[in-house]
Amino acid sequence: MIEPGFIATIQDGGRNGYYHLGVPPCGAADKLSFQIGNLLLGNPPFSAGLEITLAGPTVVFEKSTVITVTGAPANVTLNGKQMAMWEVFKVKKGDALSISYSTEAIGVFTYMCVSGGITVPEILGSRSTYTLGDFGGFLSRKLENGDAVPISEPLPGAFNRVGKSVENPYIPSFSNKVDVHAVMGVSGNEISDEGITKFLNNEWEVKLESNRVAYRFDGETIPYKDYEPPFGSGNSAGGVVDFAYPIGAILVPNTEEVILLLNDATVGGGFVMAGTVISPDLSYLAQARPGSSVRFHAVTVQQATQLRLEQKKQLNDLVEQLQ
Amino acid sequence: MLSLPETRFDFCGDEYIFAQITNDMSAESNFKAIAITNELRRRNIPGIIEIYPANASYLVRYDPEVLSPFSLLDYLKEIDITKSDESELNMKCKIVEIPIWYDDPVTKEYSIRFNERNKEITESNFDFVMKLNGFKDKDRFIDAHSKVPHLITMLGFTPGTAWTYPLGIPREEIIRAPKYTSPRTQTPKLAIGIGGAFSVIYPTQSPGSYQLIGMSAVPVYEHQQRLEAFKDSIFLASPGDLWKYRTIDESEYRSITKEVEDGTYRYKMKDVHFSAEEYIRKEEKYLSELMEDF
Repeated sequence: MIEPGFIATIQDGGRNGYYHLGVPPCGAADKLSFQIGNLLLGNPPFSAGLEITLAGPTVVFEKSTVITVTGAPANVTLNGKQMAMWEVFKVKKGDALSISYSTEAIGVFTYMCVSGGITVPEILGSRSTYTLGDFGGFLSRKLENGDAVPISEPLPGAFNRVGKSVENPYIPSFSNKVDVHAVMGVSGNEISDEGITKFLNNEWEVKLESNRVAYRFDGETIPYKDYEPPFGSGNSAGGVVDFAYPIGAILVPNTEEVILLLNDATVGGGFVMAGTVISPDLSYLAQARPGSSVRFHAVTVQQATQLRLEQKKQLNDLVEQLQ
Repeated sequence: MLSLPETRFDFCGDEYIFAQITNDMSAESNFKAIAITNELRRRNIPGIIEIYPANASYLVRYDPEVLSPFSLLDYLKEIDITKSDESELNMKCKIVEIPIWYDDPVTKEYSIRFNERNKEITESNFDFVMKLNGFKDKDRFIDAHSKVPHLITMLGFTPGTAWTYPLGIPREEIIRAPKYTSPRTQTPKLAIGIGGAFSVIYPTQSPGSYQLIGMSAVPVYEHQQRLEAFKDSIFLASPGDLWKYRTIDESEYRSITKEVEDGTYRYKMKDVHFSAEEYIRKEEKYLSELMEDF
């Protein structure tokens, strides 16, 4: 790593089973692009890779291997030569890979996946970096100049995959206008019907102070019902007895603001919750830059499962194509 | 049976079911959340990814490609009803002593620094919470906070953060505080704060919105696992454990933190079998039996 860019961290599919102890799942913010990167290389879908945020890094390879770059559109060069995203290419010892963005670029997270994955030690079953909890990834932090990140030996047959690429219909398209689906519910007792209607019928602008923990939104006001704050909640409007938040939770901490929890979420708290964005849409939502507008569409849990299976089928089709 | 209203279930997205036992806080609701999630964990159902007991609710994360959301919902409803019998609410847990330096200079300084986020309170958080709860005398307030055992009702926020709720006193005597109107961007590591009816020790420096009243001399999270207490788990608290706060002065605070630094500190700890049934029946008397030789 010779120039880390803005934020570059090591991520994988995430850390499960420790949520009830306060450890969020972490993992790639855009799981879809991340998985496609690994599938292109013939890796297990959640092998650890590099997650690059908004401004690109330059890395120098210390061995020959096979890599690919997916996710938010970026300018990718190898020793100054332009390289395609969503395509497998070879790198040699001493090669320098640079990833940069134009100012009007769309999307937030770009992924660099490498044959066999990045091999930092697992903590609680995952290699994902969790900076707030001070563990995981490379020394529990974002990468800095001079870091030497361990990568796997190229997998058997890795070099035969050079030139494999993803066809257009399978490349996720990102936009400054994002539509996502949510299953509504949980705090129906605190938010008024008018509030829910206003939430669903208006556009929400992603605020600057958004990150892997949570995205914050500006938009309409969401009136609460005139309710008595329950015992133990701290007696203020917008407060409930602290509970466990799902990833994708849509919190309404006050009538002016919406907060959506992502992979590094604070896992519990006491703000009212309007509903939950479905997991297949979180990849698209995470790619919404500050200033983008987001529309939320209510779905039933059956529709949510259907949408999930459609995304899964696309990925399976892609795997077949890449054989 | 516990006199709790029927649990309310909600689907959250495609992967979670949220169960709200009651919308207000009570020890009974938490006992039920712990008992049901323990039972669910015992049954080891394929497709369940996370089982998370909270203060008066619980959350289950599942893989909808393995387990139908509706089958899981029916299954949870059944456990929820059969496990509401208080004789089922027995748990193995440990009592742990947490030495606290109340009204210390560090949390005082933080409360003044962030007071514009706290409904323009001009005094320290400690003085504010003390007066709000009708105390004039500092020692009486500290005594009220530290004399009863606190139940670990939930973990979360950041790794190792434990919500603790006092047992054995009537609801109206429970010390309560509003949360900050806008969270602090910083909370000192190991500060103890009060929000709603809960006390919390912040395991690491982090944001936070509870009113700060003192400092714990001992860690509640240690991923290097140096101290004896963290040999088996990097977290001190488990849901259902009891924490007993003990007031200490500055010199004892310094000597304990020195032992912690040296890696020699031994927590005062005791394994017990906690019966929610007996607690509900005898309350204070049961607790004093439990705490007798502690």
